[in-house]
Amino acid sequence: MNRKTLFVYLGTLLAMIALIPVGMVQADGHCEFADEAITIGALVPLSAPGSVEGGIAMQWAIEHAASGINADCGIQINGGNYRLEIVVGDSEGSPERGQAAVERLILEDNVDAVVGVYHSAVGLATMTMLDDNGIPTVFSEPWNDNVSANGIIEYEGKPPRIEDGIDHIFRISPASSMVGPVVVNWLLSLGVENVVLIAENTDYGQPAAADETARLEAAGVNVEKLDVELGTEDFVPILSRIQASPETPDAVRLLVTGETSLNLTQQMAELGIAPTGDTICVTNQYAFNSDTYWGTVPDGNYCAFNRVGIIPSLFNDLGTELNAAFEEAWGKLVPSYAMASYDAVHIIANAMEQAGSYSDAATIVAAIEATDLELSQGRYYFDYGSHNPDLPEGTPAFMWHQWPDPIVTVMQYFEQDQSALNAAVVYPEVYQTHGSSYIVPGTSP
Amino acid sequence: MAFFNRFESYIDKNIGRRRFGYIVLGLIILFFLWFPNDTSQSNYAKTVFISGFFYAIMSSSWALLAGIAGQFSFGHMAFMGIGAYVAGLIARDGIIFATLGIAISPESISAIGSIIIGTLIAGLVGLVIGWLLLRLRSAYLALFTIAFSELFRIMMLTEYDYTGGSNGLSLRPLLQITDVDAARQVEYYLMFALLIVCLLVMYWVANSPVGLFLRAMREDEDAASALGVNVVRYKILVFVFTSMIVGLAGAIFYSDVGSERIIPEQLEVLQMSLIIAYAVIGGMESLIGAAAGAFISRYLLEATREVVIALPLGLTLPDGSGAFVWETGAWRYALFGVIMVFTLRYMRNGLLYPIITWFSGRDLAMKETVSKRKSDDEYAELPEAEHE
Amino acid sequence: MVIQDTLFVLWLLAAGPLWAALGMFLLPSVNQGKAEKDQISTTTLRIAGVVAGFALGPIGVGLFYFEPALIRRTTLTAGIILTVFVSSQVLVRIINPDLPSGLWLILAGPLWAALAAYFLPRQYRAVEANDQNVLTAAALGGFAIGPLIFGLMWKNTPKISRDWMIVLGSLGAWQIYTLFAIHNATNPCVAAPFHITYLTQQTANGIVIGAIYSLMAVGLTLIYSVQGIVSFAHGQLYMVGGYFSFYFLLHGSNVLSELTGAEISINPIWGIPVAAVIVFIMGAVFERIFLKPMHEGLIERVSEYAILITFGFGFFIEYTTLAIAGPFPQRADRFIEIRRFQLAKTQITEEFAFGPINIIGDRAFTMVVGIVLIFALLYFLQRTWTGRALRATSQDRQAAAVTGINPTNMNTLSFGLGSMLAAMSGAALIPIFAWVPWVGAEMVGRSYVIVVLGGLGSVPGALLGGIIVGIVEALGAGCHPDPSRGAAYKEAFALVIFALVLLLKPTGLFGREQT
Repeated sequence: MNRKTLFVYLGTLLAMIALIPVGMVQADGHCEFADEAITIGALVPLSAPGSVEGGIAMQWAIEHAASGINADCGIQINGGNYRLEIVVGDSEGSPERGQAAVERLILEDNVDAVVGVYHSAVGLATMTMLDDNGIPTVFSEPWNDNVSANGIIEYEGKPPRIEDGIDHIFRISPASSMVGPVVVNWLLSLGVENVVLIAENTDYGQPAAADETARLEAAGVNVEKLDVELGTEDFVPILSRIQASPETPDAVRLLVTGETSLNLTQQMAELGIAPTGDTICVTNQYAFNSDTYWGTVPDGNYCAFNRVGIIPSLFNDLGTELNAAFEEAWGKLVPSYAMASYDAVHIIANAMEQAGSYSDAATIVAAIEATDLELSQGRYYFDYGSHNPDLPEGTPAFMWHQWPDPIVTVMQYFEQDQSALNAAVVYPEVYQTHGSSYIVPGTSP
Repeated sequence: MAFFNRFESYIDKNIGRRRFGYIVLGLIILFFLWFPNDTSQSNYAKTVFISGFFYAIMSSSWALLAGIAGQFSFGHMAFMGIGAYVAGLIARDGIIFATLGIAISPESISAIGSIIIGTLIAGLVGLVIGWLLLRLRSAYLALFTIAFSELFRIMMLTEYDYTGGSNGLSLRPLLQITDVDAARQVEYYLMFALLIVCLLVMYWVANSPVGLFLRAMREDEDAASALGVNVVRYKILVFVFTSMIVGLAGAIFYSDVGSERIIPEQLEVLQMSLIIAYAVIGGMESLIGAAAGAFISRYLLEATREVVIALPLGLTLPDGSGAFVWETGAWRYALFGVIMVFTLRYMRNGLLYPIITWFSGRDLAMKETVSKRKSDDEYAELPEAEHE
Repeated sequence: MVIQDTLFVLWLLAAGPLWAALGMFLLPSVNQGKAEKDQISTTTLRIAGVVAGFALGPIGVGLFYFEPALIRRTTLTAGIILTVFVSSQVLVRIINPDLPSGLWLILAGPLWAALAAYFLPRQYRAVEANDQNVLTAAALGGFAIGPLIFGLMWKNTPKISRDWMIVLGSLGAWQIYTLFAIHNATNPCVAAPFHITYLTQQTANGIVIGAIYSLMAVGLTLIYSVQGIVSFAHGQLYMVGGYFSFYFLLHGSNVLSELTGAEISINPIWGIPVAAVIVFIMGAVFERIFLKPMHEGLIERVSEYAILITFGFGFFIEYTTLAIAGPFPQRADRFIEIRRFQLAKTQITEEFAFGPINIIGDRAFTMVVGIVLIFALLYFLQRTWTGRALRATSQDRQAAAVTGINPTNMNTLSFGLGSMLAAMSGAALIPIFAWVPWVGAEMVGRSYVIVVLGGLGSVPGALLGGIIVGIVEALGAGCHPDPSRGAAYKEAFALVIFALVLLLKPTGLFGREQT
């Protein structure tokens, strides 16, 4: 190694490091902004093993909300216009990286609030840190019951960490236990007796499967549960096993996400297991993305799926607008977690304006608790919090700081290549669009 | 150029390059020791450093196993996982051997005890795997270790009743410090000390007669065996040794020092491939090179999430901003792959090799390779010295 | 659309005899020297042709055509499997299911296997007998017949032939099946009378998907046979082949539609050659720049360099694809508009019925594509000058160079061809599976299992290995005692075989024996 190479090499190394000055100059619009800006941290998964697909949609929605707010001259506090800046933290879907990202958001970027979180494991791992540091936080997608719950956090082999409730964390996505009953009640209303439940072995699939199994079995339904590993492509052997069982199942319920869910649904349809006249196919919110769904599951007509978040026929103006913008950016229907993330930014911005401060956590939290705001997913409010601290007997602990109204419905496709916007809502009855609670394959409502 | 020449000859004349190298190394260590006391730095910087130390241990021990001993294993992360999972399971469930009448309750096992047991079990598995791998070389060995680590990961994921599945497993916290700042300080020093101790021990091994045997084995197993090196013993030894190091590092790191819980995703082949890439970029045959490679690569991967190129001379982009912002996303990993491939092809000894060589004043790693050995007096004597 | 019943049965009925006749006439025409060397008479060849043609169709005929030496082993294996199956059925009905000794038997197998594997090779070395396959035979034997194996092998130290191992292996398999039947009587794999249909269905699943797996594995084994390296970029080349096909079909049909003004869609089959050409060039260029120096003595410790450099190449491809194509699942249109082939349920006796057996239409088509491509490759390797030159290089580089073959070009060709085969299987599978940039990881792991099982460097080995792995995965997931874990462990079954093969017999089924 001669000296010349050494110099070239050192030069390259320095150049690489020099490429990374941090700091950004933004365009100034028509508004007079205060010198200081309000920063909100967006904690989303942007790298594997996290769900990159979910992360970039959430990041887009959060930044879209911020640019909308800035176009309206930012957040108005005490007569000043404060620009809203978004700092993104990549949780990578892992608790360890999520904690590091939160720490960076809090300590390096000095964020005033945090929104986002896709994976429950990240939500569980970061909530104490966010709470300890007094960061008002609105989670928009984790489902685990314990996220933001009041005083029931149990860590394996350790005493509960929080005894007196989590003061700063709010959640506007549903808890798993709010989703399960809808699908189960729908299946029970159809009179099923044998259900096969296929769940991925992750923090989404397993708790949800346990919850639904318990509910179904309590109603006397015979449940067979199968686990699958994410990333598996070929499910024909295990599907053949279902097919060979002497009792034809009345319904097959999938609690699997990503491309694994699509492969599974398609192979199930190809083998003629479900959806058929005898067997109901119920997949999950992943099927709402109709472009991806029909692109990869061409035989999946008449599959039902649970939808979390507002149903397309009930989209308000804001929701329609957001959907159009998302479709323009990504060519897909807006997923519920993007809508929730969008709303989360607005909830915090509104609370800061109401509180008249962007740094005083206590007043902001009080303002969030007092939220009464119509956004893309509907009217937001929080029943239980420091303003109403005593949960009545029988109310589950997760209702603390929980938006009680995330709409959970069962929808069903009934035409080939149908957009999810036109799919039928079959359950609960109040939302039914086509007047029937199940469309038998081969018929139309 | 001229300045550098003058500098070089000054160093050579007055201090000696080796000594200068030690001085620089000492300064770097001093910097790391001082760093947590810098009040302008937040806890986040310490967190980044803590995980940097952990990956440095992983990378440098892999360099010992693959670069120096020539055992090309992809199972390194799995051994780390064994250390962490065993420690966690023991701290949660205790030890029960019904047939032998042994039952130790989890309360009677301290965090340190569980870490020690985890490390020992990792070493034990390393012993078994090392023994099984005796007959396998290069590609076969790599394939077997991939299979082993994938099997382990799938088991940890699927047997969620015991391991917590993808929610992960919490280990018993090693430190009981309630103050966050103080805790982070202690965690920082603990991990740094672990890195230094591991590096020293590995350095000692690599430079002892055992290290020579390992290198001889790497170059030509049959020849080494013919010259009296007990290939079986040293192959197993190096597996046990590195497994224990990573098992210990894993058990400590996940005992709420660097992370609060271990998840099976951490054992994916992707994570292992990153460790390998760090070691390759830093220099596979140099322990310090691999450690520094891990540290620097992680920093760069983190820092290049968003590349901001400020336009000079007050120029502005059409949207009025004065800087071009590029969200690198997956591109930075693609670039990382390119760097890795070109490093391998054109700078086989790693990107940090020129610096290390300059400080040591001689060509270190190349000397050990077959083609140059002939011309090297020092190594010509090796076989006789160890020929018993 | 679902093709059912009569058509499929008719096809089966017509196809069996057809292929049998073809096998009968084709096999004896095999290079006589080859058959004579293996001491196989023309009559045996004819009989084998009929049986293989009838049972396995084109796969059987092709396999024996190119590797006549397989005939004896296959016959033996088939005979033993049949015997084991029948006898275990009988035994299950004789033995009382509550026998507690069953558990002991399960534990005893591995124990005796370990003991035998430890002691017997020493004995062979002590008497200076050939200990090539002793380890395998001892482990298998210890598992199958327990301490008896010491009596058999300690004193006599017989020469261990393949037949030996097939017998012992089959005995072990028989034990496992029997124990399984005793302890898990309700499992669909053993619960009469449905199990025949069920096992046939799972075996068919395995064969169909296994033949597709083979195509990818063949590329890996080809690179190894010529260059002696394992490509760790194979999974990513497979993935990128699928994407090339996908984007070609997408944009190709758009362009065509715009040019002609009519809706035109291209059949995905055309994506295969396109992906093949592009990835062949990619592979060849990569070989020229990064692997060529390896053979010129510029690189130390080539095998490790090869692992790392191909690994880095794959890393680069995967993340570049992720950056360009994004993480959204995609899939090409299907090859054929037939959802599945179905063999209808046939009532044979009052209580025993056979069927229905389902095979997904697109998969069956892809299987055919895969098998055609593999046999085209075998034809290329065995019957053309370039192919022979490739094989010659793989056997002896120096000697090949003396006869005027340029080994450097052969290296490039082999890496290009190997990469191309990965890309072709990617392009063949993108209509079947949802495609994402990390789709290669699972598939390539399986390819490693296949090539090691078949023997690194052997093309027929890869074909057979693929089918075996397909069947093992199907039966593993289908017969796992705990149905809820069966699917989650699907990948693990192949990995277990892999570990066992690497430990007991690293040369695999058809690998070159170490000297």
